[in-house]
Amino acid sequence: MNSHDVAVLGYLVILLAGIVLQLLATKTRAPIPSLGKVFSWAMGTRARRIGVLVAWAWVGLHFFAH
Amino acid sequence: MGGSPRSGDTGIGDVAATVAAVRAGPGYAVTALAGLREPIVVILLLIAFFTWISGKPLDGLLMLVVGVSLAWDTGRRRTRPGGPPEGRQADSRPQDISAASRDDARGVGPATRPGGPPAAARWSRLMVLAWLAAGALYALLVGSFSRYSWPATVPVVALGAAVVVAGWRGPSLSRPAPAKLPAIGLALWGVVLAAGCLWELSSLLQQPSLTTSSYAHPTISTLTDPVLGTWVGRSIFLAAWLGLGWFVVDR
Repeated sequence: MNSHDVAVLGYLVILLAGIVLQLLATKTRAPIPSLGKVFSWAMGTRARRIGVLVAWAWVGLHFFAH
Repeated sequence: MGGSPRSGDTGIGDVAATVAAVRAGPGYAVTALAGLREPIVVILLLIAFFTWISGKPLDGLLMLVVGVSLAWDTGRRRTRPGGPPEGRQADSRPQDISAASRDDARGVGPATRPGGPPAAARWSRLMVLAWLAAGALYALLVGSFSRYSWPATVPVVALGAAVVVAGWRGPSLSRPAPAKLPAIGLALWGVVLAAGCLWELSSLLQQPSLTTSSYAHPTISTLTDPVLGTWVGRSIFLAAWLGLGWFVVDR
């Protein structure tokens, strides 16, 4: 396994962790909020809302903007 | 035709009182420092810095503008005596649509309930279809342009800026404040998010230079380059980006 594989594996593990958290939140009674609830909470104040929206806009800019 | 002397005096008095209040208020430095105590501001400024030095000055500049504006806005709120509290109620503005309208838009309101006005329900469905069609057209059109070209840059920057500006004014929906979330669960989501950011940053810093991609230490951008090299790939990515934006704004 070379460093490229390790890097990709790292991304996949993090993605898997997110999926597991979402499943725990929606399928069990674990004290974990779903991603939707986390976003609802994050949109509750101006600073957090702007942070979330800027993060979303940044993704588009990063991959497409000059 | 003009107002009475009494009302004119009142207007001048209001202006004078406002000027006096501004002069008596905290200085620029205090306001800026108060704004920097907001973690989101610090994160935005860090992103602006790293984006700038990694060869994306436009992204960096936009992040910087938002970060500084938010610092100033937060600082003013925190240093203003008796300022409004933060939260959905404080941020609510007249442009918020009512809960009933929101329910209608989602197809669960009176308009779509049995016995509700069928015309309103049809209108709601039409609006959703129109948004979906507009999104698909946007993804296909913008995706047809090559990445980093100006025809691709302008619509992406315009949409991103419009959504951020709209979010600044207040939540798009008048939802009740969500119940307090369990700290442990919130922390776990934070750990996953932080891990993703740190892993990406680690790959970025292990590249030959910040502007030269590396096969051995790929960033997410490097990994997605082959997909985003095609029209279909770009359009699918843009559609997913729009969907994520819709999901977030709908919260």
